[in-house]
Amino acid sequence: MGASQTHSEYQYLADKTGFSLEQIKNLHKRFQQLSGNEDTISKENLDSIPALANNPIRKQIIDAFFDKRNQHQEEVGSFEEIGFEQFLMVMSHFRPPTLKTTEEEKEALRKEKLRFLFNMHDTDNDGVITLEEYRKVVEELLSKSGAIGQEAAKAIADAAMLEVASTNVPHMAPDDFYEGITFEHFEQILKGLEMESRMHIRFLDVDTTTMRCGKSTS
Amino acid sequence: MEEFWEGALWALKIWLSMIISLIMIPAMFGFSLGISETYMNILVKTLEWATLKIQKANTDERTLKASASNGLIQREDGSMEKELEELRRSRPKPPVGGDFTLSDCFYFTRRGIESIVEDEVTQRFSSEELVSWNLLTRTNNDFQYISLRLTLVYGIGIFVRYCILAPLRMKFWLSEWVHVMCYRICARGLSATIHYHNRENKPQKGGICVANHTSPIDIVILCNDGCYAMVGQIHGGLMGVVQRAMVRSCPHVWFERAEMKDRHLVTKRLKDHVNDKTKLPILIFPEGTCVNNTSVMMFKKGSFEIGATIYPVAIKYDPQFGDAFWNSSKYSMINYLLRMMTSWALVCNVWYLPAMHQKEGEDAVQFANRVKSAIAHQGGLVDLQWDGGLKRAKVKESFKEQQQKQYSNMVVGDDSSGNSD
Repeated sequence: MGASQTHSEYQYLADKTGFSLEQIKNLHKRFQQLSGNEDTISKENLDSIPALANNPIRKQIIDAFFDKRNQHQEEVGSFEEIGFEQFLMVMSHFRPPTLKTTEEEKEALRKEKLRFLFNMHDTDNDGVITLEEYRKVVEELLSKSGAIGQEAAKAIADAAMLEVASTNVPHMAPDDFYEGITFEHFEQILKGLEMESRMHIRFLDVDTTTMRCGKSTS
Repeated sequence: MEEFWEGALWALKIWLSMIISLIMIPAMFGFSLGISETYMNILVKTLEWATLKIQKANTDERTLKASASNGLIQREDGSMEKELEELRRSRPKPPVGGDFTLSDCFYFTRRGIESIVEDEVTQRFSSEELVSWNLLTRTNNDFQYISLRLTLVYGIGIFVRYCILAPLRMKFWLSEWVHVMCYRICARGLSATIHYHNRENKPQKGGICVANHTSPIDIVILCNDGCYAMVGQIHGGLMGVVQRAMVRSCPHVWFERAEMKDRHLVTKRLKDHVNDKTKLPILIFPEGTCVNNTSVMMFKKGSFEIGATIYPVAIKYDPQFGDAFWNSSKYSMINYLLRMMTSWALVCNVWYLPAMHQKEGEDAVQFANRVKSAIAHQGGLVDLQWDGGLKRAKVKESFKEQQQKQYSNMVVGDDSSGNSD
């Protein structure tokens, strides 16, 4: 069932992103649900997901989908709308490693995930997370109106920045200006963190709608 | 050739008159000859047999288990606190104050992506996927050739549905009978089997009846068992014709679209109706829209502010026989009616719950939630906090702020305990 043209497209996507054909089909359905059966998704489509509204950093997450850096193509800037292929590319950052993944591949996956998070923080794409950018993220995570005021949020961000600086540049003099967190620093800080189970989503393989039997070809 | 057609026509005539006398007349007088019941039994047996056939060929599929979860991804059920705790454990506690770490972003990012892949609300507005196949290709999106016998049954099914059942039912929709009889015939026409539970709690005059909403047929179902006054907008088209027919038999409260915007006017008119003890109980569907009958969405508080006695009613359709859900953004009314009339049958359960009053110190929203939980609990539906209006509109900012508050309380709380030594 289905056109063979779609099948070969899915195969190409499967090879590129590492998802299985089943998962790509499911995600395609979801993509069409979100886009209202169009070919592309805009930021408004993602904005209207109710469950996402709860998330404090939803703006950053949505921007990450439209960020060209996450497409692994050495481009910068952002898209206005994305197609299914770009959607899948971003999703592939959250793919869990399978039993067949080698150590190097696991390392590469880990680096990809870190890069994704780094891009989320580094909004002006200069390769460094400055104090300003970091403060912004902290402010989003903490309530603008609630228990923590702006001053307190700033203080927390500053303290965290200081911690980063002290671990990476241990002999910094008191007057030195710390520019910001580079990607290497970022990796260093989060070296001990067990990310494999925290930063992936287990996509179910089963197509819940089909009941195949007897004469199917898969 | 001509003789063949004559013979067929004659057979059809006999068949029709038999059906009419056996179904319509008893329907008018509210008693049954047991034909509907036998029809239902045959239906159930046929469907069970069909399902077994499919399942036998399917022994290594995991679809049954996965369909129960109906999801694309497997979710962690841990709360925010638990997960953040685990994230932080793998890092040494920072020497300086401020328990805020970069790793917390992971949790929120992951949750965000999960929401993008799948969320609770959008799921509720597409028809429920069935585990078994009810010989209607509509509910299972994929249909493959299984066996000759099954196809034959399916073919006969189509013939029966389109040629016999549908024309019969068309008649019934445009009639102008007395209120309850009219609805009874409609119910019979749809081969509706309705089980009423706890009839002692039936809504009394001067009260408000609230129920969960799945389709316009809910009205038929409830009116089969008693008279209600309706509240609603005046529609054009086919719905308008039906509405005007109903108005002649019972006093209802109809509004113009412009009036609906004026909440005080609406409240006042409802209050007047309710205070008049001779008037029929008002029927209201507080969800505000049709939901696909797996869950109950947020109740709008308007009807709970009036201060009258509330009689909750839970309506649950049995999805095995036909999908009653009306997705108004996808199908028009006529399309929906056609689908209804060509389904196998409609089986549903109606539970009348004991009357509820607003408690002291309880505001309308809490009262509405209390009633909603009672209905959801009785009907075996999921009780959701989400607004049914989300089918068409976006979510308010206040939900995001709630999560922010919760998270910041965590950070500040930890901070103070960390610094107290």
